[in-house]
Amino acid sequence: MIRLLLALLRELADENAYRRHLAAHGLEPSPEEWRRFSDERLRAKYSRAKCC
Amino acid sequence: MRVLGFLFWAAIACAAAICLGGIALNRGEHINSIWLVLAAACSYATAYRFYAKFISARVMVLNDQRATPAERLRNGHDFEPTNKWILFGHHFAAIAGPGPLVGPVLAAQFGYLPGTLWIIIGACLGGAVQDFVILFASMRRDGKSLGQMAREEIGKIGGLVALVTVLGIMIILLAVVGLVVVNALKGSPWGTFTIAATMPIALFMGLYLRYWRPGKVLECSAIGFALVMGSIFSGRSVAESAGLAPVFTLSAMALAVGIILYGFLASALPVWLLLAPRDYLSTFVKLGVVLMLGVGILFVRPELQLPAFTRFTDGTGPIFAGKIFPFCFITIACGAISGFHSLISSGTTPKMIARETHAWPVGYGSMLLESFVAIMAMIAACVLQPGVYFAVNSPAGIVGATPAAAAATISNWGFPVTAADMAALAHSVGETSLFSRTGGAPSLALGMAHIFASSGGGETVIGFWYHFAIMFEALFILTIIDAGTRVGRFMLQDLLGHIHPLLGRTSWMPGVWITSAAIVGGWGYFLVQGVRDPLGGINSLWPLFGISNQLLAAIALCVATTILLKMHGARFMWITCVPLIWLVSATFTAAWQKIFSPLPAIGFLAQADAAKNPVIAFNARLDAVVCGAFLVMVAIILADSIRVWISILSGSREAAVHEAPFVPSQLRPEEI
Repeated sequence: MIRLLLALLRELADENAYRRHLAAHGLEPSPEEWRRFSDERLRAKYSRAKCC
Repeated sequence: MRVLGFLFWAAIACAAAICLGGIALNRGEHINSIWLVLAAACSYATAYRFYAKFISARVMVLNDQRATPAERLRNGHDFEPTNKWILFGHHFAAIAGPGPLVGPVLAAQFGYLPGTLWIIIGACLGGAVQDFVILFASMRRDGKSLGQMAREEIGKIGGLVALVTVLGIMIILLAVVGLVVVNALKGSPWGTFTIAATMPIALFMGLYLRYWRPGKVLECSAIGFALVMGSIFSGRSVAESAGLAPVFTLSAMALAVGIILYGFLASALPVWLLLAPRDYLSTFVKLGVVLMLGVGILFVRPELQLPAFTRFTDGTGPIFAGKIFPFCFITIACGAISGFHSLISSGTTPKMIARETHAWPVGYGSMLLESFVAIMAMIAACVLQPGVYFAVNSPAGIVGATPAAAAATISNWGFPVTAADMAALAHSVGETSLFSRTGGAPSLALGMAHIFASSGGGETVIGFWYHFAIMFEALFILTIIDAGTRVGRFMLQDLLGHIHPLLGRTSWMPGVWITSAAIVGGWGYFLVQGVRDPLGGINSLWPLFGISNQLLAAIALCVATTILLKMHGARFMWITCVPLIWLVSATFTAAWQKIFSPLPAIGFLAQADAAKNPVIAFNARLDAVVCGAFLVMVAIILADSIRVWISILSGSREAAVHEAPFVPSQLRPEEI
């Protein structure tokens, strides 16, 4: 249950998506890579309507 | 085993019926909130187990052997097979906004019963069905959006109308939620300080995540949360400080201007600096508070003080005018059925579903949980003494501008309250006055504070909990404002890009500023209109928002009905057609009454004719035009859908289903 909750929090925090991104491209975590990933992710995230 | 299962579900269904009957037939006595909780929980369980299963097995024929877009188009970003319970939480966090909290609080003016029944029945037969079918349809179409599906399944008009309706709804939504925040913070130095403090906290979080600890979102959000809690604690000292209190004691107009400026900045600034860190923080706070409220209600089991029905079922309500039908059904949108959910169900979620059957808990189940949040908001509003509830939520233009006049008016309605009671209550939560704090947020915060304080700490902590609840509501409303402004700006830039390519370029800063100013100007105008409205603004803006949101749901149900019709002929179209007919009846009646009712309290045109101030008259006519425009757009899409349905049923049009072809799933269980 706690593991599931933590996984949910990491998904909401985009941390899981970052890990997947690193794994998919065979990259190591770095400040530059996070900024690149985050910019792309946030651009997509905030081009969609937010619910009321 | 089979017999035991049958007996178990029969007991749950009977419990649902008994609890619903109990709350519906009880008169004259206070009932315990646990009845509402049980009625809702047992009804949801029954609907989920039987109705949703029937839809998934017989209508959608969900098939786990079929690869979902998350598997076929997997790219590690948008398309990624995700554990169903994680996706459930993700989807719930995306659909849960201020709507299910504010709507039920406002609708409680009719008493607890109409709103509660609509929330439970509307969600089981309407809202959850809409979310589920749209999620399924999008999943079978590679994650296409509602607009794309409307264009493909109905026609080009449908797609265009859906886009324009969404933009219009967003303008009204941002104005009305902005007004909720303004009314919660006006004249409240404690609340204003707390919310103002979230701005530098968000900036700090943005810099922390960008430069100091890149990628550590949870760690950063935990620090942000601790700082926000610190700001709530120090808010009391600010409110009691002779030097600082006046700085943070702002009028409604000053707050409105502040929120408009904030919306502009948040839309134009880099997203990582302000918007994203606030959004992370508000998502976690939102989920935590919903959980806390649920636990608090179960622990305290408070009695409802509001009756099943109030005298305002006759349409003379002070919070908003109009009878139960149609106004209860547009005031409570998000807790029962919300068009906005169809945008989420055809957005990120369908791209993350690992197995087709996961659409059942994610699509149908998440909406039931959202509906339960609305039930908790209804309980939080109804645990207040009726006199207090109406004193907080009624505009000064109706009850009177002085505490004595307001208390006398409300007591004459049969809900006793005194100015001294209200002053003592305001003092206990660290406010100077709680009269005419319209918008729903302050009364919800009072109810939540009552429940939290009753769980432990009592009167000594009620001020903290009140401001914690205000912070929670304002935090995620402001996140909706900044994200919504940004999305509106993108939509506008998309449209203007057809006129001149430079205006469509998101990297060209003059274009960004112009389009941000246009969107902020749009919702800002309605926000200022609400602030200047002598009836508090909520009376006109919330119904307008409810109508537009429900009309978007009507568009979604038109798309869903067309898809079911193409899949099975007329056999199962009742599943989405019945909620569609109900929604169209309620929404069109409400829109018609809001425009043409001869009573100035209801009809915009009558309000304009009666207004002495030319600005108020102009605004009322503008509201009538906006309402009429929504009505015409949805009438067009409805007529277009009916034309398509008739041509399919008569055989003059091919019932082509635009699903992606079947590909067998090769996803291994350990991958989910």
